[in-house]
Amino acid sequence: MRTTLRRSTLDHLWPWLCAASLALSLLLLIMLVGLLATRGLGHFWPAPLQEVTLRSGETLAGQPIRETALPAQQGQERLYFTGNQDSDGQRWRWVAVDDIVSTRTPDDVIRLERTPWGDFIGRLVAFESANGHLEGEAAWKELQAQLALPPSARSLATLTLETASGASLMQPLSGVLHAQAPNALSLWEKLNAWQNGLWRFLSEGPRAANTGGGVWPAIFGTVLMVILMSVIVTPFGVLAAIYLNEIAHQGRLTRLVRIGVRNLAGVPSIVYGVFGLGVFVYGIGGSLDEWFFSDTLPSPTFGTGGLLWASLTLALLTLPVVIVATEEGLARIPDAQREGAMALGATRLEMLTRIVLPMATPAMLTGVILAVARAAGEVAPLMLVGVAKLAPQVPLDGDFPYLHLERKFMHLGYHLFDTAFHGEDVQAAIPLIYATAALLVAIVLVLNITAIFLRHHLRRQRGGEC
Amino acid sequence: MSAFRRFASPLDLRRFKDRLATGLITAGGITVLVAILAIGIFLVGETLPLLRLPETLALAKLSPLLFGTFKAALAALLFAVPVALGAAIYSALFMSPRLRSRIKPTMEMMEAVPGVVIGFIAGLVLAPWVERHLLSTLMVIVWLPVSAALIGVLWYRLGHRLRRRLSLASAGLWLVPWLGLMMALALWLAPSLEQLWFGNDLPLWLERHWGLDYTTRNTLIVGIAMGFAVIPSLYSLADDALADVPAALLEGAQALGASRWQSLWRVALPCAGPGLFAALMIGIGRAVGETMIVLMTSANMALVSANPFEGLRSVAAAIAIELPEAAPGSLTYHVLILAALVLFLFTFIVNTLAELVRQRLRRRYRLLGGK
Repeated sequence: MRTTLRRSTLDHLWPWLCAASLALSLLLLIMLVGLLATRGLGHFWPAPLQEVTLRSGETLAGQPIRETALPAQQGQERLYFTGNQDSDGQRWRWVAVDDIVSTRTPDDVIRLERTPWGDFIGRLVAFESANGHLEGEAAWKELQAQLALPPSARSLATLTLETASGASLMQPLSGVLHAQAPNALSLWEKLNAWQNGLWRFLSEGPRAANTGGGVWPAIFGTVLMVILMSVIVTPFGVLAAIYLNEIAHQGRLTRLVRIGVRNLAGVPSIVYGVFGLGVFVYGIGGSLDEWFFSDTLPSPTFGTGGLLWASLTLALLTLPVVIVATEEGLARIPDAQREGAMALGATRLEMLTRIVLPMATPAMLTGVILAVARAAGEVAPLMLVGVAKLAPQVPLDGDFPYLHLERKFMHLGYHLFDTAFHGEDVQAAIPLIYATAALLVAIVLVLNITAIFLRHHLRRQRGGEC
Repeated sequence: MSAFRRFASPLDLRRFKDRLATGLITAGGITVLVAILAIGIFLVGETLPLLRLPETLALAKLSPLLFGTFKAALAALLFAVPVALGAAIYSALFMSPRLRSRIKPTMEMMEAVPGVVIGFIAGLVLAPWVERHLLSTLMVIVWLPVSAALIGVLWYRLGHRLRRRLSLASAGLWLVPWLGLMMALALWLAPSLEQLWFGNDLPLWLERHWGLDYTTRNTLIVGIAMGFAVIPSLYSLADDALADVPAALLEGAQALGASRWQSLWRVALPCAGPGLFAALMIGIGRAVGETMIVLMTSANMALVSANPFEGLRSVAAAIAIELPEAAPGSLTYHVLILAALVLFLFTFIVNTLAELVRQRLRRRYRLLGGK
């Protein structure tokens, strides 16, 4: 009696554990997406700057980042981003919270983005140009007016800046990219600044060892590579699927081939990378170099990783995805449709192009979108066949032949990996890495949602027939 | 007669076109198949030079990598298998079908999150946090299942009306905030317990008492991150296998007096067993081949140790790091290609096994009168 009772209690608890494991997966997903969205998008919100006076009498200004506990219960310490690497020699400052005497958020503390030395945080004292010497509010107005102009139209001017600790420095206007007084902004202005920041992230190139600027070349490289890849993978994938489903004799061999293709989707991407490096880069690329570019050897042209080889490798990697999706679409079309077309006198080609392929188009599209989503997020094979940390030239430009297939290119996923693990100042780059990760996830998820809706739509359209 | 001649040439043209197109499609299809075959041929061809060398060299280089791969995959599966199986059992058999049709695509979304993003979050955000809050992490891992059982017990004490509103069929959703709350509770309690038991620094305590080293990026982190990546594919396949169990079998078992859980345990699980096995195989394949996550969360030290708080180096990560630097034709190059061949063969065999098992399962369901 007692064992039955105990067993039935357990029987009642198991479903709850199962439900909890589903809830846990959802919770983890929500946490991941939430973290990326808040940290990635939050980075562009103008952060308030604090001016802090320490017990030692020292004053510093900076953006508070986070707090951690000091060892042995000595309270908390807070990390400030203080900028001013040229005058202080460092950009970060840990301050024990107990040491802080007073904290203020004055409106006149500004943050400048500059090219050689990174951010400046402090006060603007004077704006000196050929037109005269401006101070205080007038100087700040003039600086903003100048920064609104395109860089070539700005006047030659020098800013006199003062850090919170009282050191003064001269900054030529040509090195200033952006200025902001975050404490003085109203909510509306902050929203505007957030939009601008987001836009600059999407449209500018990286600066200062990837700790500043944007990811435009990486977006461009990713998109270009994915387009090239889909141009290669779509015809071949569709041809192979039609061959397997419509033309090949449906025997044991075809079944084996089908299983083989399906399994290739499970082969690790790095293996494709190895294949791409060995065959495309060293094999075909090396031979091309010997035949056509022998005058530039030993520096390789096609014999090193590049856009073409990366696209080809990823096309091979995503081929199974397209084949499987297209084949599923083809298999769903009832044989009666084919037989009807044949009975009315159509040849096989006519039956395929007029009846079967139009019906299978959404399935093909689904396959291509899934392939693109997979390729956009894949990094490992690209490490072998052709991404660069910082590609000086975009592979598409005005010089003949316009599209430079041999060039290295930047990729969002690799940019993320490289900044996170090989950067000089990872601490400073983390907000940008979050933003890049959020962008990458957004792209991949949007593509996947499109594919899911397409498939859903397709199934509903066909009703119970398929 | 003349009419026939007039039609004869277009018909010929159509036939010619048809033949041409068939030829082209066949050529295209066979090209693709050959290209796919070429992967295997290339890998085998490039490893052949190793045969001329003493074999122990390649083995000595590969064995810590294979060990690392195995350890990482094991850690990931220890986390992923219970969670994914539980989720699949729940969503296939207990959840309302309407909700299930929403949840499944969501889990497919989870599969699409790029490895490099998971690796970044785990390696750069989670790993330093876990190092500082090791006990909290371990407590969360223990506390979450307990809190799930707790809600099960509490639920039977609830009033009738509340019970209807918080039904088991939608528990997958409303347990999310509950688990979040429990997680927060564990995190809130952990620091005081750590002070009480381990003198405020668990890693130090571990090293002093058990001689365990602690590295920031370790197997625990790899397991959590890669487990997260493996859960969706495991879940999706297991859910399919369980949902396709013919309803007549389950209804029959319940009609004979079995409880819902008994009919699941005695009928559905044995029936869907091969499908679950296939899911497990695919999960192993993914865990073994995943590159970026291991690369970013494992410290990449080629160690052979069972300590879960030490780093590791997997085959895939080693290829990604070392191959770009290896000169083509050198020994390292060939050894790394051998490593790639091992990965290729392993995943290929595992996946083929899974596919064959699944096909057999489908036949069985058809015989049993399912879909």
